[in-house]
Amino acid sequence: MSTETFDPQLLDYSNRPPRLPSPPNEANDRIDIPLDQRMRMYELQQELRQFEKRAYDLFMQNLVKGTSHLSLGMEAVATGFAMAMRRDDYTFATYRGHAHTLARGVPMGPVMAELLGRGTGLLGGKGGSMHLTSVEHGMMGSYAIIGAHLCIANGAAWSAQMRGSDQVTVAFFGDGTTNIGAFHEAINFAAIWKLPIVFVCENNLYMEYTPIDLVTPVEHPAADRAAAYGLERIVVDGNDADEVYDTARRLIEKARSGGGPSLVEAVTYRHGGHSRADPGKYRPKEEVDAWLQRDPLTLYHQRLLRLGVPEIELTKIAQDVARRVDEATEFAKSSPPPDPESLMTDVWADGGSSWRR
Amino acid sequence: MRQRLTPSGGLVGEAPFDIQLTRRLYRAMVFARTYDRKGMALQKQGRLATYAPFEGQEAAQIGAAAALEPNDWVVATYRDAALMWAQGYPWELLFAGRTGDERGGSPPEHVPVMPPSITVGGHMVHAVGLAWAEKLQGTDRIALTSFGDGATSEGDFHEAMNFAAVYEVGCIFLCQNNGWAISLPRERQTKSATIAEKAIAYGMPGIQVDGNDLFAVYEAVKEAADRARSGGGPTLIEAVTYRRGPHTTSDDPNRYRDPAEVEEWARRDPIERVRIYLSEHGAWDDEWQAAIEAEAQAEIDRAIELAESMPPLGPGEILDAMFETLPPHLEAQRRELVEGLR
Repeated sequence: MSTETFDPQLLDYSNRPPRLPSPPNEANDRIDIPLDQRMRMYELQQELRQFEKRAYDLFMQNLVKGTSHLSLGMEAVATGFAMAMRRDDYTFATYRGHAHTLARGVPMGPVMAELLGRGTGLLGGKGGSMHLTSVEHGMMGSYAIIGAHLCIANGAAWSAQMRGSDQVTVAFFGDGTTNIGAFHEAINFAAIWKLPIVFVCENNLYMEYTPIDLVTPVEHPAADRAAAYGLERIVVDGNDADEVYDTARRLIEKARSGGGPSLVEAVTYRHGGHSRADPGKYRPKEEVDAWLQRDPLTLYHQRLLRLGVPEIELTKIAQDVARRVDEATEFAKSSPPPDPESLMTDVWADGGSSWRR
Repeated sequence: MRQRLTPSGGLVGEAPFDIQLTRRLYRAMVFARTYDRKGMALQKQGRLATYAPFEGQEAAQIGAAAALEPNDWVVATYRDAALMWAQGYPWELLFAGRTGDERGGSPPEHVPVMPPSITVGGHMVHAVGLAWAEKLQGTDRIALTSFGDGATSEGDFHEAMNFAAVYEVGCIFLCQNNGWAISLPRERQTKSATIAEKAIAYGMPGIQVDGNDLFAVYEAVKEAADRARSGGGPTLIEAVTYRRGPHTTSDDPNRYRDPAEVEEWARRDPIERVRIYLSEHGAWDDEWQAAIEAEAQAEIDRAIELAESMPPLGPGEILDAMFETLPPHLEAQRRELVEGLR
């Protein structure tokens, strides 16, 4: 994202009519999910939220190398899907992939160290925020080229199909991706070959600085395209982890049992700008305020109170997560930078660098 | 699927134009088939490089061109010679292009037709650009881009359709669904039931017509052209037709499809049904048929002669068609090439 020299202030859509969220659906309280699992989903959303808030603070202290893209406000999507996935399922994410990485069980310490470019980082400090990958956790990578990873994700799904491994691939992408040619090619291919894959559009209403509805002739950039591939039209509330989870488990099960791919659109909102270079001021204030009110963590907190969970338990979870985020931060800060000897490794499969000589 | 003229020449509803125009378009389809069959023969004689035949798709191409204004843009493929010719592209340049001569890709100044696109799907984006340019300039010129069923799976199709719809440009997307993308059948190309319904994804109208029906194709394209010209934006038209020949002269379709299917489609020939219709209206006889076939043969022969009598291109001229002014680094390469061959 070469947005560092671009001045988003030049693009002002803040006078457009706001796109306001629909009211939260309290009926989702009745979705059949055991309470202990709901507690874990609350904890996971707290982890994603507090980790990224800390990451933001560290950016501000100039401790993070390179740019970064936060998904604050979008935690329910990563949570709902990760909870519905099997340990050996595959995740493909975009450069906005901190949450998807953590949600698959990758520990906070190495992820934080990676953001800070330390040798103890998930990728030895050489990948950074935009390339988080952990194959052992099924996190098959964060990709910076818009749309390209959908084709790569198809490859993983196709491989699972050929090996008969029952593994399902879940590929996340933003609303802007839906107007890229690779999106069209990937979904068509998956539908024809009946691949075990779920495509998840995280529609946060803005592609970088452009409102998605300005450049898309249909209301729902992903769901309204499903018909072109013979797929079901699915829109979910991306700020309600239970609704996301309920849909995710249905579609993942469908893919696992040979029912082929699905395309889901989770409508959500990013609380901040596109990247750290962007304060996000091009959005109408009324719109931002309304979506902040509809924060997925607030909604989930309220749901658990309605289901009879004492406030003190939720506070304890939040405090415990805060302590772990502190530990991850200390781990990262106290780690050394990468060894200069590692500069030429991790380029080829054999780890060597002889090709350079 | 819209139909006006059945395979046996019966009219459904009303004809979209009079007998005189029907005769002219019938004649054009005969010319097109003569060119196409000659192209296949010349390639076998080693006089053309690869040739991609369109036999069976004449109505889709001639019917579409007939619904355009003379200065509307046509941006088409290697299988669209009839469409391009009908909008003004000379036969001799179409032949020349197939001999590998770059000059075949440079239409005369006043002809609003782009050279044939070999890259599948890439040209659709160019058509949208032309239509957008006309819109920005406030003209009522529109663009028609033609492509096959295989092209609809290309990313360029998606990007072109989306852009055209968002900016409401006057572009007609004409898909000649001829059943086969080289060796891949239509049902394995995409999961949607029709190509036309892909228009839903872009919020634009989608129309499916019998692509072997001159009248139905004309009507659909005319409707789309009227909408585009009046600022109503783009339309996707799926003309259901059939590629009776191979993908190109380098392909043997007997390896992947049933010859019975080809015979079945021969019975739905686009030219024959117009002949029956004209005959029933007393507007066709053997004598006229013989006359137009002779005219077609003479015109195609003359075009071949023109193409083959063009002085051969020298090695230094292979870069001529690429830039209006050659950039310095390519100019240097050209000098090196010419001097090296001396």
